[in-house]
Amino acid sequence: MALPLDHAPDSTATGPAVAEGNARVVALDGATAWLEPEPHSSCGGCVSAAMCGTKSGNAKRMAFKRFPLTGHPGLQVGDRVVVGMAQQSLLRASAVAYGLPMATMLAAMVVTDKITHADGPTILAALGGLAGGFLLARPLAGYLSRRGELTPHFLRRAYGPGQDEECHSK
Amino acid sequence: MQDLVLLIVSAALVNNVILARFLGLCSFMGVTTKVDTAVGMGMACTFVITVSSMADWGVEVYLLSPFGLGYLRTVTFILVIAAAVQFTEMVIRKVSPALFQTLGIYLPLITTNCAVLGVALLLVEGKMNFIQSTVFAFASSLGYSLVMVIFAGLRERTALAAVPRLFAGPPIGFITASLLALAFMGFSGMSTN
Repeated sequence: MALPLDHAPDSTATGPAVAEGNARVVALDGATAWLEPEPHSSCGGCVSAAMCGTKSGNAKRMAFKRFPLTGHPGLQVGDRVVVGMAQQSLLRASAVAYGLPMATMLAAMVVTDKITHADGPTILAALGGLAGGFLLARPLAGYLSRRGELTPHFLRRAYGPGQDEECHSK
Repeated sequence: MQDLVLLIVSAALVNNVILARFLGLCSFMGVTTKVDTAVGMGMACTFVITVSSMADWGVEVYLLSPFGLGYLRTVTFILVIAAAVQFTEMVIRKVSPALFQTLGIYLPLITTNCAVLGVALLLVEGKMNFIQSTVFAFASSLGYSLVMVIFAGLRERTALAAVPRLFAGPPIGFITASLLALAFMGFSGMSTN
C-alpha cells in the first residue's frame, strides 16, 4: 500500500540496496557460467531509443565485458539472469574509476594554471593528473576486488524477451 | 580564481544543463530511479563530459578554427566524444578488468548524448581558454549530476507515495521535474555568464 510522502521510509532503512543488471549465459565451463551483460542504453531507453542508437556497444565490445559466475549448475547457454551488487559497492567502484582520476586531473590543472597562466603547461598537467589518477585507481580497484565488492552475485533468473528482442517474434 | 568560481556557479546552477538548457533529458527521466545509481551515473557522465570537452577544445583551437573547418564541427565533435569514451573504457580495462566488468554491467558510459555534445558546442560559443572550458564542462556536468541525484531522491519518495492512478509513473515525474525547474529558476540573476 502506498504511503503518504511524509511517512515514506528511507530506502537505506530497509537493508542494503542492490543494483541489478541483466546478463545472458554465453558459455559453460564446468561449474562456471560465463555471462555477457545485455546491451542496454545508458540513457534508460526512452520511447525514441529505437531511433537514437545510444545502445552500449557492439558484440566485440560486449565480449570484453564477459564475467564468470560460479556455483549455479542449473544454468544453460542462452539463459537470462539478473545479477546484483550492493549499491554502495557500485558507488565506490564508480568513485575509483571516474571520481579519483577526475579529482587529480582538476587539481593538477588548476594548480598549474595558477603558477604558469598558460594553456600549454595546463594541458600537460591535466593529462598528467589524469594518468596519475588512473595509476592511483589501480591499487584501490585491487583492494575492492580482493574484498569481493566487484563480484556480481546471482539474484534470480530473468524471464521475458531481452533488450533487443521482440515480444512477439516472427 | 573568483572568475572560475562564478563560472562554476553559472554553469552548474544558473544555466543548468537539464533544467535551463533542456539537454540530457533522456537520461534524466531514464536512470533516475535510485539515488545511488544516479550518483554513479552522474560521476560517469561528469568524467565523460569533462574529458571529451577537453579533447573537443583542442580539436577546435588547433584544427578546426585555424583551417576554417567550422562546418565540420558537429560531426568532428561526435567522433572525438566517441573516441574519448572508447579510450576511457580501454584505460579502465587496463587499470582493473574487474572494475571494467562491474561498470560494464551496471553503469555503461554514455557515448554521445545531447548533453555531452551540447556542452562541447557551448564551449566553442563561449570562446574560452583551456582552463575556463574545462572548468565550465566540469561544472555543467556537476549541475547535471546534481539534478539527477535530487530528482532520483524525489522519485524514490514518490514511488512510495499515494499518487492518484492518473498521475502515477511518468506524469508525476514530469510534474516533479517542472517544480524542480521552477526551484532552480531561483538561481537566475546570481551570475550573468
